[in-house]
Amino acid sequence: MPYSDLKHALPPEAEKRISRDDARFALGRIAAFQYIALGVFLFLLAGFWVLQVRDAEENSQLAERNRIKTVPVLAPRGKLLDRDGRVIVDNEAAITLMLTRETLNPDHLDAIARGVHMDPEDLRARLKRFQSRPKYVPMVVKQDLAQDEIAFVESHRDANTFPEMELVRNQRRLYPRNGLGAHVIGYVGEVSEQELDSSDFAKYVQGDIVGKAGLERQYNDMLMGVDGQRRVVVDSGGREREVLESKEATPGNSLQLTLDLDLQVVAELALEGKKGAVVVLDPRSGEVLAMVSRPAYDPNAFATRVTPEYWRQLTSGGDNPLLNRAIQAQFAPGSTFKPIVALAGLETGIIGDHDAVSCPGGANFFGRYFHCWQKHGHGTVDLHRGIVQSCDVYFYTLGNKLGIDNIAAYAEMAGLGKRTGIDLPNEAEGLMPSTKWKLRTQRQKWYAGETISVAIGQGAVTATPLQLASAIGGIVSGGVWHRPRLVKATSTVEPRRMELKPESVASIVSGMYGVVNEGGTAAASRIEGVEFSGKTGSAQQISNELRKSGKLDANESKDNGWFVGFAPRQNPEIVVVALLEGGEHGSLAAPVARDIVKSYFDKKLRLTQRGIRPSPFALLKPPALP
Amino acid sequence: MEAILNRYRNLTVLLAVVAVQLGLLGYQVKGNGEVRLIRVWAVGAVTPLARVIEAGQSNIAGFFRDYFLLIGVRRENQRLKDDLDRVRMENQELRTELSTADRARALAIFQERSPSKTIAARVIGNTTGVSAKVVIIDRGTSSGVRKGMAVITPNGIVGKVTGAFPTASYVLLVTDPSFAAGVLSQQNRVHGTLKGQGNGTLIVDYVQNEQKVNAGEWFFTAGDDRIFPKGLPVGRVTLVRQGATRKELFVAPSGLGDGLEEVLVVVEGVHAEIPEIATAEQPVQLQEPPPAAPEIAPLRDGSPATDADRLVDRYRRIGEIEKHEYGGHGGRAPNFNVTVEPRAADAQPSPPAPGTKQAPEKQAAPEKQ
Repeated sequence: MPYSDLKHALPPEAEKRISRDDARFALGRIAAFQYIALGVFLFLLAGFWVLQVRDAEENSQLAERNRIKTVPVLAPRGKLLDRDGRVIVDNEAAITLMLTRETLNPDHLDAIARGVHMDPEDLRARLKRFQSRPKYVPMVVKQDLAQDEIAFVESHRDANTFPEMELVRNQRRLYPRNGLGAHVIGYVGEVSEQELDSSDFAKYVQGDIVGKAGLERQYNDMLMGVDGQRRVVVDSGGREREVLESKEATPGNSLQLTLDLDLQVVAELALEGKKGAVVVLDPRSGEVLAMVSRPAYDPNAFATRVTPEYWRQLTSGGDNPLLNRAIQAQFAPGSTFKPIVALAGLETGIIGDHDAVSCPGGANFFGRYFHCWQKHGHGTVDLHRGIVQSCDVYFYTLGNKLGIDNIAAYAEMAGLGKRTGIDLPNEAEGLMPSTKWKLRTQRQKWYAGETISVAIGQGAVTATPLQLASAIGGIVSGGVWHRPRLVKATSTVEPRRMELKPESVASIVSGMYGVVNEGGTAAASRIEGVEFSGKTGSAQQISNELRKSGKLDANESKDNGWFVGFAPRQNPEIVVVALLEGGEHGSLAAPVARDIVKSYFDKKLRLTQRGIRPSPFALLKPPALP
Repeated sequence: MEAILNRYRNLTVLLAVVAVQLGLLGYQVKGNGEVRLIRVWAVGAVTPLARVIEAGQSNIAGFFRDYFLLIGVRRENQRLKDDLDRVRMENQELRTELSTADRARALAIFQERSPSKTIAARVIGNTTGVSAKVVIIDRGTSSGVRKGMAVITPNGIVGKVTGAFPTASYVLLVTDPSFAAGVLSQQNRVHGTLKGQGNGTLIVDYVQNEQKVNAGEWFFTAGDDRIFPKGLPVGRVTLVRQGATRKELFVAPSGLGDGLEEVLVVVEGVHAEIPEIATAEQPVQLQEPPPAAPEIAPLRDGSPATDADRLVDRYRRIGEIEKHEYGGHGGRAPNFNVTVEPRAADAQPSPPAPGTKQAPEKQAAPEKQ
């Protein structure tokens, strides 16, 4: 029976009661529903108030930041070119990983670091260091990503995984392979906190890539460009949809160097597998035509971030590849010092060209017997033969007559014992001892016996290959010393000039010509058709006592081999210094210089045949020689 | 006038009828008609009615005649149609079952042979995004699926899991613009990054113009993206061309096929070697396991270089020609003006990219498929 029919069957009272109960029940449910609806409405209203009123500004900013992204456009550094405009240091396209710190989730850092082969702690430390910069500035995580790292970043930087990762295309430094010119060029790296504290780098900020060594550091301001930036609209997936503003990066200025790549390459090949240095100068201008230091390092390894393994490899062991031996190795110059002593003797008038000394293989000075390198002696030796045969006894005698202060005066005049002022950082001074020096540094008087050793380039006297090249180049050029420089510049520093007697210079040049061309100590390095002149030198690294003790291995006790050469004999255009650490004898260093000089004149011939003027400085008036 | 007509209505009507009759008689006499107008009118008035009646009779008769005659044929026709439909459906079902069995068998074989641990899943839906290419599979966290896992088929990679729920997961397909994976070409072992384009084609990015990739060459996963294990097929190169800065490579994905129903989720990836043999269009799982291949085939030195590096090479050759050891104690200085013939590789000039100084290797072929 239907409910309505049932209702009609009930007594009127019961029917009324049921009707009243029904109404009450319905009213109760409606009221409950109303309250629930009101509650929901109030809840939504509260949420609306929080989102739209209370946090409106913050939400608006967040949305705007999420929508608009600032992407840096990294400026490429200027290139380094050789004197002929050939590229020594270039840039190549690279991919850099950056972190958008505004949307960074700290929980992602470990995974991101592992994905790009970084130490997570290192990444956290970088992030901490970067905190001082505005949050909208993205942080460079790693430059020059490898293919696997790019694949990792590209496949994980979607909106659901690590959206804070940003890939930026930029230019990384491309240095020559095998460390060619590494010590001259230097390398770049991220500015360190210590550097930021120094005045040189005060204008840079965390994350900037700056020159760390060599020319990269010396001319950092010129080479660095100015970064640009792009403001782009991105969608929820982080994909760029529109470029709002684009400020192009300004590339750095390129530098034209004085280096001649032909000579540099030959010098590099000649020193391959050896330990030492080569400096090639144009004595007419001070331009450095080549500078090599071996062993070298690979600057490309520093172009991004050097690995701890490679750094350990460079810094452990005794070879010290980071040392630029051309300007930082301070060794006794050995017999290459003799032309300077000879100049002092001639200029002071203490000796003449024909004053002779008898060499029986050694001589006694102040109670001590000093050996000549030629045990059987050279017989009667004048200045010319003294230089050609590098007779020690002749120069012991000359040094004894001159005294240390005369020698020091002419050596310092030639530039020893002080920096040449080349445009490279951290040049060493070398040492030219004197009575004043000893008194100042050791509070002791100079003993005349000490002069005997200095006279043959031993004892306390030390020089760098660059100093020696500059010194000899200035002497054989007639007393004009140009400041060595590596960058072509329109304005140059006035050279130092000393009035040298032309006959003194001629005597020294003649002797050095004889070293190569008259059966001297470098006769094997004679070059057909080139008036190649020079002086060999062998310098002890350790005392005779230590050598005899047997505490050192064979390599450590070997002498250094030096050679300083120039060509042509008149109006020299090129000066070469070759240093072979442990090279035993200067005659073994001479072939290095020979190859370089030969390549110089072969190139000159090549260019002349093509009608190309080899060098603008070839037209300069050479210094007068008798 | 009106009152007169009303008063003599009968007479008026009569007169009007007579007048009309007279007029019509005149019209008939003038027209020389053979049939009297009255007949024409009668026929004209009766014919429609008669036609209706006749049609009704005919239709009713025809209906009953057709009904009784064709009722059997219609039933037979309908029965045959039903049979045909049923057979067609059975045929389709059988085909589908066969196809499913094939895929299942292929999937099972692939699962068995794959070094990676995988679980099978079915695609149960798509998401509704404008450009997003995402499908939903019927396996989730309860089955061990996690966000970031690779999704593959025996034919190639499909995508990666971007969201995992207890019983279902989202899979971002390789065609999605935000998808990327590290890949390696089969023949030339060129590394690159695969990217979706939002359509049916993929690109491989970060390949230098100097690197060689052939049209038709297969790409496999390189394993360096930390998602896909190495050695899974990705697709074939359909177009190769030189770009402004990098090579432009287009790849047809092999994993999506004609449709996507069953997939495998890689829960534990194990890297495998890339097969040396040419990959056929047929599923990879049917091939014999490839022989052990070298990790990376020797590459020609196509890395960027400066003028200095090229000059080093030239002077080394001079040393070889002159039989000279640079800086060596014996012998004489070499003739640095000796003619140096270009090496075979250098004899094929190609235009260097702007800003780069390396003489790139000659690019093979037109590379267009």
